[in-house]
Amino acid sequence: MKNNLYTVVLVAFVFLVVIPIIYTLGVALFVEDSFSDNMQLLMDKNTFLLLFKSIMLASIIALLSTLLGSILGFILYKTKVKFRSFFKIALLIPLFISPYILAVAWKDFFYFFFNNTSFISSYFGVILVLTTIYTPLSLLIVGSALSNINAQLEESGLVIVNLRRVILKIILPLLKPALLSSFVLIFIFSISEFSVPAFLGVKVFTTEIFTQFSAFYNHSLAILQSTLLILICILLLYSERKYIADAPFFSVGNKGTSNKLYHMRNQNRLSLLVLFTWFIISIFLPFLILFIQSFKNGTTQFIKAFELLMLTFSQSIGLAFIGAIIIVFVGFIAAYHSTRQNKTQKRKSFDWLLLIVFTIPSTIFGISLIKFYNQPKLDIIYSSYIILLIGYVGKYSFISAKLIGNAIKQIPNSLFEAAQIEGIPFFEQLRKILFPLIMPTLFVAFIISFVLNLGELGTSIMVYPPGTEIMPIKVYTIMANAPQALTSSMTLIVFSVTLLIITSFYFMIKPFIKKNNFVND
Amino acid sequence: MIKLSNITHLYGDKAVLQDLSLNIEANQLTCLLGSSGSGKTTILRLIAGLETPKSGIISIENRTVTQNKQILIPPHHRHIGFVFQDLALWPHLTVYENIAFGLKNRETTPKQSKKDHINKTVFDMLDFFGLQEYAEKYPHQLSGGQKQLVAISRSLVLKPKILLMDEPLANLDVKLKRKILQHIKNLSQSSIFGLDLSIVYVTHDHKEAFAIADKIVVLDKGEIEETGTVEEIKRSNNKFMKYFLEY
Amino acid sequence: MKKITIVLALFIVLIISSCSNNTNEVVVYTSVDQIFSEPILKGFEKETGIKVKAVYDTEETKSTGVLNRLIAEKENPQCDLFWSGDPVRTIVLKNKGITAPYQSAIAQDIDDAFKDADNHWTGFSARARVLIYNKNLLEKADVPLSIFDLTKEKYNGQIAIANPLFGTTTFHIAALFSTIGDEKAKQFLADLKKNNVVIATSNGDVKKRVIQGEIYCGLTDTDDAYEAMKESANIGIVFLDQQGIGSLIMPNTLNLIKNAPHTENGKILMDYLLSKETEAKLAKSCAQMPLHKNVETPENIPSLDHIIPMKIDYGKTSQKLEEIQDYLKIWTNDE
Repeated sequence: MKNNLYTVVLVAFVFLVVIPIIYTLGVALFVEDSFSDNMQLLMDKNTFLLLFKSIMLASIIALLSTLLGSILGFILYKTKVKFRSFFKIALLIPLFISPYILAVAWKDFFYFFFNNTSFISSYFGVILVLTTIYTPLSLLIVGSALSNINAQLEESGLVIVNLRRVILKIILPLLKPALLSSFVLIFIFSISEFSVPAFLGVKVFTTEIFTQFSAFYNHSLAILQSTLLILICILLLYSERKYIADAPFFSVGNKGTSNKLYHMRNQNRLSLLVLFTWFIISIFLPFLILFIQSFKNGTTQFIKAFELLMLTFSQSIGLAFIGAIIIVFVGFIAAYHSTRQNKTQKRKSFDWLLLIVFTIPSTIFGISLIKFYNQPKLDIIYSSYIILLIGYVGKYSFISAKLIGNAIKQIPNSLFEAAQIEGIPFFEQLRKILFPLIMPTLFVAFIISFVLNLGELGTSIMVYPPGTEIMPIKVYTIMANAPQALTSSMTLIVFSVTLLIITSFYFMIKPFIKKNNFVND
Repeated sequence: MIKLSNITHLYGDKAVLQDLSLNIEANQLTCLLGSSGSGKTTILRLIAGLETPKSGIISIENRTVTQNKQILIPPHHRHIGFVFQDLALWPHLTVYENIAFGLKNRETTPKQSKKDHINKTVFDMLDFFGLQEYAEKYPHQLSGGQKQLVAISRSLVLKPKILLMDEPLANLDVKLKRKILQHIKNLSQSSIFGLDLSIVYVTHDHKEAFAIADKIVVLDKGEIEETGTVEEIKRSNNKFMKYFLEY
Repeated sequence: MKKITIVLALFIVLIISSCSNNTNEVVVYTSVDQIFSEPILKGFEKETGIKVKAVYDTEETKSTGVLNRLIAEKENPQCDLFWSGDPVRTIVLKNKGITAPYQSAIAQDIDDAFKDADNHWTGFSARARVLIYNKNLLEKADVPLSIFDLTKEKYNGQIAIANPLFGTTTFHIAALFSTIGDEKAKQFLADLKKNNVVIATSNGDVKKRVIQGEIYCGLTDTDDAYEAMKESANIGIVFLDQQGIGSLIMPNTLNLIKNAPHTENGKILMDYLLSKETEAKLAKSCAQMPLHKNVETPENIPSLDHIIPMKIDYGKTSQKLEEIQDYLKIWTNDE
């Protein structure tokens, strides 16, 4: 029974998501006659130079973000700094905003205050913008790892040496898997990021792929180039997995162990200053600019922006909602079977499939979906919302599977064995033991998927059914020649709506999570 | 009661149990005594059906329950209770719910199983262990000893014929340990709740074993070193036992 | 269980609602900014009762959207009519065998220069490539009047063009190549580079930089230029080379898609878009110059009667464009 469900979901995923990619790749590699020409173009010295540049850039961003995320994480999760709970939430905000919009805000910011944008239109700019976006991700990963460290491990160190050495010799080594995960994940995100370098006029590998697409219409070469990118990402993730084996990737909530908080009297002000500065840089300044631009000429543009977007709300939110439910479901099935089962029965293949699809650039994924689904027999999929849902599920199930997998891993197996001995049927075990225990994580996975779906642009714009109104696409296409105030207003609205929905979801589910808040002694 | 014949069990390439045969008699408290890595917990899990051996046969009450890698009778049809080393109390359920969980949710429970009956069964059990006042508490609100008792109650409430206990008393202070051991001993000697209980008790602590066991099985590196009553074991001049007794 | 049922029901409703069997519809893909194209398509819907299903895109951010989508959908076209903001994309489609010919009676009085010889596409409302400059930074006397002035020393580092690999800028350069010949054009580009031309990400970016005063002046399209004048009083606009090779005029273009699902409705929409009324609306909303005679336009919109156009063949220029693209890529990349 339980394996049947797994098989059904796995097969569905393979057919709906993986086959289109393999099909497109196959066509690009073996069918199109320009293959040898493209191979030659691919093997060009410049391609590799650019790839090298991109790798360097992504490494710097990943390194910086991980460093900053660790510092912020330590302050927020390990010290009794003031306004802790506020910053814990507030500093995550950049994750919920489209990178493109932040890039626009930053460029305007530099113009507004320094009258010069050459500073930001450079590698430095890409690093700045992407680091502000991905630091919260690192904060999330490192923060949860920090709060999961058993206090006794630190305390047993503290009785012998001072705090500095405890941090260096105990906490840091324990954090290594989380730091590595943070680096790898951010590296992948940055190396596949297109909109920010494109907007800032910095040439990287993704913009090169893009050029093949939209200036030369050479799909095959673009697909070949993307495979290079995908290979790098997979290699990295593979080595990460080899190295840290099954150490938690990133997880939510603090289970079981009590978290040790330090009281650092001297550093308290400094900590607060760091948090505050980062808040100003990553959130306040970009928003200030958006706000100024939205309202400097009154509210007419804001109202217009609202009218334009109003039509998209219900469709977009509905789609993101359904997509998030499917993603959590798929993520759960994949995670359950790669973590929960006995060692001999572990199935990692689903996990790997999710990962591979995750690393594929959005545009290529979109093209794959078109090439595969655009045939009369599959019209029901291609000309309906299903195609968008397939896009969402393909792109984001990996993240949800990761989150849920780690939550499941933290539950001792004996809880299920005890139920098994009592003769509790499998689905009752899921319903009454597993689900209540991972509910907070399921909720977080749902929220993250929802937010990602709601902002998904790269794939959606390739495949959205004619005549439908999808929020990020509308923002993007309207943005083109619209006055600055309209663009900024739309950004503000999208952001507020997202925040509003998340908050209301939270309050809807809060009593349920609260009830099960049994682990925080 | 329980018979293990020629059991070999591997973890990876390493043999944990090597051609082991063992007979556990009914209505007794049998202690599996051994240091960590001796394979005692594995034996318990094999009896429970949580794991399968590479080869060998396990039978309970003359029914073959496991044959080589095959589970013939699933854990919940073996009439066993299992107290895990980490106790495995469901953290999101209250003490009452933990104990009642199996009564309410097991496959064999009729849909409309009388609520009053469940209620009474659970409270009888709580009464016996002096836990009434904690019924609505969550596991994390209990002390170590209370948790152990809840875990034991939970396994007993389904009226098993065999109770498997995996070092349930580790990390308890001596006084509490003695109290709980007395409870367990009482359990095995009387037939409370109409139980006719055989207990298999895994420990690395010989004092614990000497205090409660009817019979002791001494294990080392997956092999049986010695079997006998407390007195017999005490008198034995097995070198392994001597090492054991030295500290 | 209830929740699952509700979600399932929602799901089904959503799917059904998205594939309504409304055959009286037309599917249009457009690269014209949604803010301008949508009102016109809505007007068509209102007048004819034919439902318009549109896929919007934007040339501004050089999205890979509609054109790549049309190419990828070639085997099973979903789109009936493609409305392009410039002739380049249409001609790319024509060369890939994706377009279908149609001669609209409405377009009879439009100059043949703006139509495909084989009727695969028809132009209407046009934009021109112009220079915009910041009045605070450039005296009237210093404003360049010819594109070739841009290589002069006094504009060193103070001029911008959009990335020449994309959009109308590519076409502008291709037009230069076909007008003055490859050799001179390459020399011009080399000189431009020597003069430290700023390569902006898009025409909108050129506009923004000039408004913000980051540079003196830049090349962009008339719609951006008029938008710039609306946003700032300090923006001046020049039709270049009125004494020489003329300004590049770029019409919007329309083409039917081969084997489209609703070709007849596609034709109706194409006729509608080619009408004087549409041209009048576009003149008003985004300063496009009508190609029909006697279309009412706002006063500040120049008439094509008064502009010396660059004399080019759009088809041939598009071919030139494909030829020079590798060269342009190298030109853009070498810094």
